[in-house]
Amino acid sequence: MTARHVGPLLEIKGIKTHFFTQDGVVKAVDDVTFEIGHGQTLGVVGESGCGKSITSLSVMRLIERPGKIVAGEIRLNGENLLDKTDADMRDIRGDQVSMIFQEPMTSLNPVFTCGDQIAEAVQQHTAVSRREAMDRAVEMLRVVGIPDPKRRAAEHPHQLSGGMRQRVMIAMALSTDPDLLIADEPTTALDVTIQAQILEVMRDLREKNRMAIMLITHDLGVVAEMADEVVVMYAGKVVERADVRTVFGSPHHPYTQGLLLSIPRLDERRERLEVIKGTVPSPLNLPEGCLFKRRCPHRMRVCDTAPPYQEVGSGHFSRCWLTPAGEAPDVGADAEGEEAQHAAEQLTVGAR
Amino acid sequence: MATYIIRRTLQSIPILFGVALVSFAIIQLAPGSPIDRFRTPNVRPETLENLIRLYGLDQPVHIQFVNWITAFVQFWNVEAWGYSLVDGRSVRDTLVDRMPATLLLGGTALLVTIIFAVPIGILAAVRQYSWADKAITTFATIGYAIPSFLLGLYIAYLGTVVFRGLFPGFGMVSLPGTEGRGTPLDVAWHMVLPVTSLAIQQIAGWSRYVRAKMLEVLNQDYVRTAKAKGLSAAKVTYKHALRNALIPVITLFGLTLPGLLSGAVITETIFSWPGLGLLGVTAVTQRDYPVVLAFVMVGGFGVVMGNLLADILYGVVDPRIKY
Ligand SMILES: Nc1ncnc2c1ncn2[C@@H]1O[C@H](COP(=O)(O)OP(=O)(O)O)[C@@H](O)[C@H]1O
Ligand code: SF4
Ligand SMILES: [Mg+2]
Repeated sequence: MTARHVGPLLEIKGIKTHFFTQDGVVKAVDDVTFEIGHGQTLGVVGESGCGKSITSLSVMRLIERPGKIVAGEIRLNGENLLDKTDADMRDIRGDQVSMIFQEPMTSLNPVFTCGDQIAEAVQQHTAVSRREAMDRAVEMLRVVGIPDPKRRAAEHPHQLSGGMRQRVMIAMALSTDPDLLIADEPTTALDVTIQAQILEVMRDLREKNRMAIMLITHDLGVVAEMADEVVVMYAGKVVERADVRTVFGSPHHPYTQGLLLSIPRLDERRERLEVIKGTVPSPLNLPEGCLFKRRCPHRMRVCDTAPPYQEVGSGHFSRCWLTPAGEAPDVGADAEGEEAQHAAEQLTVGAR
Repeated sequence: MATYIIRRTLQSIPILFGVALVSFAIIQLAPGSPIDRFRTPNVRPETLENLIRLYGLDQPVHIQFVNWITAFVQFWNVEAWGYSLVDGRSVRDTLVDRMPATLLLGGTALLVTIIFAVPIGILAAVRQYSWADKAITTFATIGYAIPSFLLGLYIAYLGTVVFRGLFPGFGMVSLPGTEGRGTPLDVAWHMVLPVTSLAIQQIAGWSRYVRAKMLEVLNQDYVRTAKAKGLSAAKVTYKHALRNALIPVITLFGLTLPGLLSGAVITETIFSWPGLGLLGVTAVTQRDYPVVLAFVMVGGFGVVMGNLLADILYGVVDPRIKY
């Protein structure tokens, strides 16, 4: 491999992934920027439909028509993946960057054995014999905690439970020692005890392999347990980003605050969970200005203008008009038009 | 597996009994009677009475059925299926004689169908909405919509009139006295038009089916997994997707098999192909009851066998199916 790149493992800069549908352009991912350091775990959270999966598929360059990455850079070890040929990209997929998916029940091919499917990934990226690849597959099944891995390797996916299948997926993804594992809601489809086991396996392997993880989830509990840093997405945009302690301790964006209030907690007795009012706006009918304004309890006049992405604390960014202290901004809550736009630009420049 | 095949085969017996019952009932309900063909103005009533007694038609219906069915299961017996009312030959021997021509025509058409329809269906799915897909869709819709008698006639017309007898339009071998009559080449030459006519219709249906299944499979999560592994497009399509897409095609195979046994009635008639289909049609128009009943039973047997074979094949290719 090339000499180790200094700087983050993955840098996503201003990517826009749009779907050109018959009803109009769906801006599924719209100007998303974040980095993941070597060995770091980044949690990507947000309600269903906010663009988490499309962001991860963009990194894999697995976006299909009518979708297209229309702008931005995705740098892995400093090299822009969007400049790679399809053949180069295939060498990266499943080798340097692996992905596991939400649906363990359907993500494995029903007609091939689990062992075959793992061995196939190994053989695709390393010059080993079939036998060696198969040995590696069995070894990986053992590593992810599947009892009797030799027998399981010879079984077809339908003979395994959902949790076991997700372990097989992890074994497959990690069989090539990737630098980055993208896990798109890896535990969402599993029941709670199995969820905990899968997270345990991932944590364990992260330490062993010094691998970075992009962990996509809508479950803040999972984030609290796993992530170093957090990116909160809303309607295709990053609305808040900080280390995990800051996000849980002093969230800035009203959307993040709303998400936190909706987590059930054992130490407090609430009559019922607060849920963020309203629904995610239709991607074909996004509001002017702040995309969250229809649901926001702090909404001001100025929110009709797109809010700045400002640094509200050290390494803590938020896409909101509220001041770092959470108050109405100096420009005046009533600012409109050019005045507001200008203020937004000023504040954003500071953040980038 | 073996026990499953045996169990499944035994289960076919009641189904075949049902087929026999329905076939028998239809013949009973159809207007006319087997002795109508002897009813001419100068036949004496006593002669007709004798015939009725000879054929057992004076018995109650259920006795007639039992008589017929017990005779019918004795397929090893030349006499069991009765004798043709038209030429007096053993019905069983007539059917056995006709079988090879039908199997040859139907089998070749099926082979041609698979050779063309599977790649065509894959192409249409992989390049969905491309001009190739649209052309294939157009062809398939026309091929599917055209009634087979019209398509057969048109192909006969093309081969014999437009191309001035390039291909023969009837029969299985050349006329007596022609050089090379009955050689494999002669038979193959006679097969061109009927096979084309049968295959076009089947390719139309099969290619649509393969396309639909392929599209369905290409959207599955495991195809995305295969791509995420870094496999080439060819491996994703032909290894991961195709294997899954072809499993349900077995159903079509099972549906096509009965046609192989009982013959393509319309196509065989148009091209005077001396197979079972033509035999059946001729027998119906001549009210040759024993032949009609045997023909219907062979068709029903084909349907049951087609289903049985499809079920067994599913078990062979789909690891999810357990016995
Ligand atoms: N093939 C597609 N065509 C049109 N819109 C799409 C397509 N795939 C995804 N989208 C849109 O992209 C947005 C983000 O989807 P996704 O990334 O899957 O959300 P999630 O955060 O739940 O993973 C959604 O609004 C969805 O409607
Ligand atoms: S910009 Fe305004 S509407 Fe948007 S989140 Fe901040 S306060 Fe709420
Ligand atoms: Mg998703």
